[in-house]
Amino acid sequence: MEEFKFIGKSVKRLDEKEKVTGAAKYVDDIEFGPNLLYAEIIESPHPHALIKSIDTSEAEKIEGVVKVVTGKDFPYKFGLYMKDRYIFAQDKVRFIGEQVAAVIARDPRTAQKAAKLVKVEYELLQPVFDPIEALKEDAVIIHPDLGNYPHVPWFFPKGGTNITHRLKLRKGNTEKGFKDADFILEDTYRVPRYAHCCLETHIAVGLLDYSGRLTIWASTQSPYTQRNLFADALAPLGFSHKDIRVIAPYVGGGFGGKAGVTMEIIAAALATTVKGHPVKVMWRRDQEFYNTYMRQQVVTKIKVGVKKDGIITAFEMANYWDAGPYAEYGANVVNASGLSATGPYRIQNVTIDSYCIYTNLPAAGPYRGFGYSEMSFSVESHMTRIANAIGIDQVEFRRKNGIKEGDTVAYGAPMNPNGLLEAIDKVADEINWGEKEESKDPNKAIGKGLSIFWKAPAMPPNVTTSAFIKFNEDGSLNILVSGMELGQGYLTVMAQVATEILTVPIEKIRVELPDTDRNPYHWQTVASHVTWASGNAVKRAALEMRDKIFEVVHAAYHYDKDSLYLEDEKVKCKLHSSFELPLKDFVINGIQTKDGTYRGGAIVGSGSFMPEFTSAKQDPETSQGGHPNVHYTVGAGAVKIEVDKQTGKIRILKAVEAVDAGKAINPRNVEHQIIGGLLQGLATVLCEDMRFDENGKILNPNFTDYKIPTFLDIPDEVVPIIVEVPQPDGPFGARGIAEHTMIPAAPIIANAVEDAVGVRVKAMPITAEKIAMAIADEKKEVDDFLMIMKK
Amino acid sequence: MAIVHEFEYFKPERIEDVIKLLSEYKGKARLLAGGTDLVVRIKDELESPAAVIDIKGIEELKKLEFREGKLHIGALVTFTDLIDSDIVKKQFPLFWESSKTIASPGIRNRATLAGNICSGVPSLDSGPALLVYEADIIVRGAEGERVIPALNWFLGPRRTALKEEEFVREIVFSLPAKNHGGSYIKLGRYKGEDLAQVGLGILALEGNEYRLAFCAVGPVPSRAKKIEALLNGKPLTDSLLETAKRLVSEEISPITDVRATKEYRVHVAKIMLERGIRAAVERIDGNGPAYGERLI
Amino acid sequence: MKKISFILNGEKRNAYVEPNDLLVDVLREKLGMHSIKYACGRGDCGACTILLNGKGVRSCIILAIEADGQEILTVEGLSKDKLTSLQESFIDHGSFQCGFCASGMIMSATELLDKNPNPTEEEVKEGLSGNLCRCTGYTPIIDAVLDAKKRDVDKK
Repeated sequence: MEEFKFIGKSVKRLDEKEKVTGAAKYVDDIEFGPNLLYAEIIESPHPHALIKSIDTSEAEKIEGVVKVVTGKDFPYKFGLYMKDRYIFAQDKVRFIGEQVAAVIARDPRTAQKAAKLVKVEYELLQPVFDPIEALKEDAVIIHPDLGNYPHVPWFFPKGGTNITHRLKLRKGNTEKGFKDADFILEDTYRVPRYAHCCLETHIAVGLLDYSGRLTIWASTQSPYTQRNLFADALAPLGFSHKDIRVIAPYVGGGFGGKAGVTMEIIAAALATTVKGHPVKVMWRRDQEFYNTYMRQQVVTKIKVGVKKDGIITAFEMANYWDAGPYAEYGANVVNASGLSATGPYRIQNVTIDSYCIYTNLPAAGPYRGFGYSEMSFSVESHMTRIANAIGIDQVEFRRKNGIKEGDTVAYGAPMNPNGLLEAIDKVADEINWGEKEESKDPNKAIGKGLSIFWKAPAMPPNVTTSAFIKFNEDGSLNILVSGMELGQGYLTVMAQVATEILTVPIEKIRVELPDTDRNPYHWQTVASHVTWASGNAVKRAALEMRDKIFEVVHAAYHYDKDSLYLEDEKVKCKLHSSFELPLKDFVINGIQTKDGTYRGGAIVGSGSFMPEFTSAKQDPETSQGGHPNVHYTVGAGAVKIEVDKQTGKIRILKAVEAVDAGKAINPRNVEHQIIGGLLQGLATVLCEDMRFDENGKILNPNFTDYKIPTFLDIPDEVVPIIVEVPQPDGPFGARGIAEHTMIPAAPIIANAVEDAVGVRVKAMPITAEKIAMAIADEKKEVDDFLMIMKK
Repeated sequence: MAIVHEFEYFKPERIEDVIKLLSEYKGKARLLAGGTDLVVRIKDELESPAAVIDIKGIEELKKLEFREGKLHIGALVTFTDLIDSDIVKKQFPLFWESSKTIASPGIRNRATLAGNICSGVPSLDSGPALLVYEADIIVRGAEGERVIPALNWFLGPRRTALKEEEFVREIVFSLPAKNHGGSYIKLGRYKGEDLAQVGLGILALEGNEYRLAFCAVGPVPSRAKKIEALLNGKPLTDSLLETAKRLVSEEISPITDVRATKEYRVHVAKIMLERGIRAAVERIDGNGPAYGERLI
Repeated sequence: MKKISFILNGEKRNAYVEPNDLLVDVLREKLGMHSIKYACGRGDCGACTILLNGKGVRSCIILAIEADGQEILTVEGLSKDKLTSLQESFIDHGSFQCGFCASGMIMSATELLDKNPNPTEEEVKEGLSGNLCRCTGYTPIIDAVLDAKKRDVDKK
């Protein structure tokens, strides 16, 4: 085992000092000068309606109003994987809150006042909110033109319906598999919508300067993809990529909600109408809930067959996803999670049908976990029920069926090296699995729950990333990347990767936040692929620099390149132990030779990475034949809870999670992701509870009534465990873990509740109310789904 | 989001000036103390006062005093002041316990008891304490002062007995004559700050005397007279408690909303009653769970 | 417009405000105190917390005009010369991730340690319960606060 100097060390975060001193700038902290204009959006009050007319005349009269913009000024569509979304609604609105028009004014109050004076006339259309209702023959069609929408080749929209994508996966023969089974369990699970609740709301400022250059400052996970989507959507106005610059300062939380493009395109578009003036579009907290991306709702029907020794013989699943009315990103959630919906199990016979369905609830899309948390809730609940039903220990069941390296996953590709069994063992050990504990309080019961998880980065097959590195005169480094520091510690980890090669102390390294003019390309900071992909690009750039360094030293001193190495910021030679050349002496100024001439010059490095083994060429009828995923990260989670049988309230005594990071470049960062991700996952079961009225209007778009955990709601004890089975093509063996840490949370609670009080809750969230009333009514199963509140 | 509505702002130094301004603006002025209710409502355009009268410059309203068996709480006394007060903690422990459940430290540093009771919301955490201690609310108007007993204070959701052009000068809690224990239990969706879905304050006095009050389960916080009538004067047995629990559904009329269903509220209210009474009785002699400990 | 004066981070400052201007907006836009963050606008999340006369308050639901004659402390004031031991502790523990909750959290924790220099874990949780964080799961913040034994505020 190699001993690394910087890898595997919990070095201090590069961004911590800025954040602790108030120096860290987010978009709204940048001063844009006295010409800054403010936009206020006019939103649809209806879930589905035709726009009959928009009268902006009264608003335009208000002093301080510079412009009023409507859909007819921007009849352009955009979208990441499919173009089904509009900058401003055109002839129709499709959800409550959709942007219909905007007022641009000299100050926020004027914008707010004037926005109220814009009169819009609507003709109501029948809305549909339930994904299964939306599939019916007579359902209202939300996108009549769906058949003509451009989309990536691995999506299969069905024109004339509300099906925006269908994943069809067939492996082996499930019919035979069920015939061979000794026990079959079939049931339905429901997961409602959720909100990311980043502390910083979405914000974008756009400026079209007098030379015609469009700059957008945005709180975003995806500066380059945003630039691409802006260029595509605004191409009719004559823009191309080099004409647009996206600058991304620190982001106050992303969690997938700031991937792709949502409201940022409004700022870009509005900027083109007020040349020379920056226009700020900043979402209030309630808009953050209803007009960005929500996490999609899903209804899952699952049927699993096992032999009496516990081996799974067949797996059949149908997922009905509610994507809202715009599925340009959300359809990939359905696709990616569908491909891997079995979870990390070895199963020969698999049938999966996942439908991405339009509804008139707000637009939904990517959220940490990308559909895997939702799938995991049903699968891991189901597997525990099966194990219990046939009398096999739940952990033993996972060990038996857990996927191993080389096994074939559901779409035919081989499974990568992974520490699944080690994760299961360590988690089971830490939670004292098998030991039944009794509460001292007769009103309370203790239960334990466990689940396994996996996730692969969900990306197109040709995702790429790159990096530049440069030296400064004092031997310090600037690393320029366009991955985004969302808080996960990305900047620090890139510095560690670079300097394991270049030996410069961490304190002498800066990693620069994205600016598409200056930092090189990176697809998006999503999918938990960035440590792996960007790390590889940074490593290549560092290796290129090292090679150049050795080249220069060789040219000046004639030492064999193979005999040179770097240590403590110096070039040293294996064959000449007294040779020590400090990097700072020559990385800008070159090396002077005996005759007074110089060799070298400024040392810079570049690196680029793209996987060359992935493809999306699968058979649409079976999903076999392609290689859509680069690799999986696996893990296991468990929880010990105490349930108050009278009130239904849950106290988490201990939560444990193990994740296989391949190689934890910064172990403390990984542990922090486990602690934070686990709590975010637990919140989806224990306190977050999104509600809509019968007209599709969100009833709790604020923290008063959409609860995210506080200091008082954390588990009594959280134990993060790092497993390391190296990823062969990862930088120093590393792979991503950041989304994964949320995934086991919902099923471990569901399983622990059943263990404690014998109640199986099949519809999230798992509230105290559901548990208490089930116990009081002596119900063993609960499937109350309250997301849409009937009067 | 900026406040669009425009208003005048005054910061008088004397109570007389507050009265003058209130009559000048004829009900279109609002008093500002902590602002944790008023400013949010102005932002949400639920209130559009012509004038805001900031009373934070009036020294005498800041007083928190205990004299001759009465706790005088001035209009500017915040919940942090109440929680930090040893007198409140020792002499009016139920009120101390309920104050700790309100919002969060940053809100409690500003929110005043006076402002809280003037909001008159059904889920008022301070409501039960006011009712079981039978506090008096001293209001001042152009005609002078009058005393409104807490039992007459709450008229409906966001409606109190306070007349236009009057304001609350202080609230007075009288120490019960007998030894007592109390409990305030609040049902929230989790341990973090939440508006009560059910709130129950119980005062247990020596000699089997009980005063109970609910909040959040009816249009106003109110005393549970039926349960009090059942329990008063009788030794507390398990079967009496069971009967009392059955009366809960007659005593309260909760609604179903995004926070909880009415069925769950009734269900938990019964459990709160049982745990709350046991704790309150134990606390009479200084036993039982420490004040501030969560019972549900 | 009314002229207000107050002590901001130890220095007397003036501002011209309308009665309906919010304190968070005036501190950020007119006085450049960008450490203060706007995250919910209703006092629910704590990101806008500043110390007003030594007490942590939600600047998003306070009128700017109420600051007249008062004393305000923000993170900029803590960071002027040496960092406080609380800030050093946060850096050493790597407590913050996205950092958006950090300023409000630091002001609330500063008030907490001011009032109670040696808090228990429970007291830390209670004292910071009004500050929401979505990233960290809170444990690294609690560890850092417990670790900051001595708090120094450099009042000028």
